[in-house]
Amino acid sequence: MVVPAAESSDETLAALAAAGDSSAFEVIVHRYQARVFRLACRLTSDTDAPDVLQETFLQVYRHLPSFRGESQFGTWLYRIATNAALMHRRATARRPAESLEAFLPRFDADGTHAATPAELQVASRADELLDRQTLAGKARAVIARLPDAYRDAFVLRDLEDMPTAQVAQVLGIEPAAVRQRVHRARLMLRGYLSDLLGVRP
Amino acid sequence: MTHVACASGVELLMDFIEGVLPADVSSALEAHVAGCARCAAFVASYQATPRILRNATEVTLPPDIEASLKTFLRARIDTR
Repeated sequence: MVVPAAESSDETLAALAAAGDSSAFEVIVHRYQARVFRLACRLTSDTDAPDVLQETFLQVYRHLPSFRGESQFGTWLYRIATNAALMHRRATARRPAESLEAFLPRFDADGTHAATPAELQVASRADELLDRQTLAGKARAVIARLPDAYRDAFVLRDLEDMPTAQVAQVLGIEPAAVRQRVHRARLMLRGYLSDLLGVRP
Repeated sequence: MTHVACASGVELLMDFIEGVLPADVSSALEAHVAGCARCAAFVASYQATPRILRNATEVTLPPDIEASLKTFLRARIDTR
């Protein structure tokens, strides 16, 4: 019997775990748990993330025998984690929708930015100008206010740094739709950061 | 030549950054941004937004949640 090592590839570990080797499964859990937890916090909330984390690895374990290596193991696991988070979100009480449209950029009648360059730039300094704790709290809250479709695309593409094609695969939408949603999310969040600093977006 | 104003340029940003715009549209956008201080400032903040929010939402897995996960999985999975 092969002893799973911390350096074994995901695919090797997956095959061993699927054949019933629980120590191989533990290595997989150890390798991915922090990333899944972070993803769960971003897609649900700090309160819901522990449940999503548990559900994800239970699903991973159950579905290991059907992992065929058509996609990378990490992508496959991320898809399970994303689905677990989305299922969990659907099952919990929904917050009332709060529009973020007010944070979209403003233009004059001729299509020129209404704000000055200094005003337009300010969001890029949010991390210098705001206290770390405050920004962390505000960031979590505003991401939760995004429409779900924008939030999912933004979290995977921009916060988890997943390539657009992979996000499209995970969410089951076209890459063009991913780009459109991420774009809208960025516009709203950028405007929100400006607003936090007391500047109209 | 494609005409780009600030408003239409903003709508092209994501596709520009991802490199999926047709070459002529892409150069028209670049030309506009190069000559527009407002757009240059806007692009800087648009590009900074994901990085700022990524850093602000970094979390580490608390040891108690890691321990609960282990207990949860051990209870549901055969150990051989």
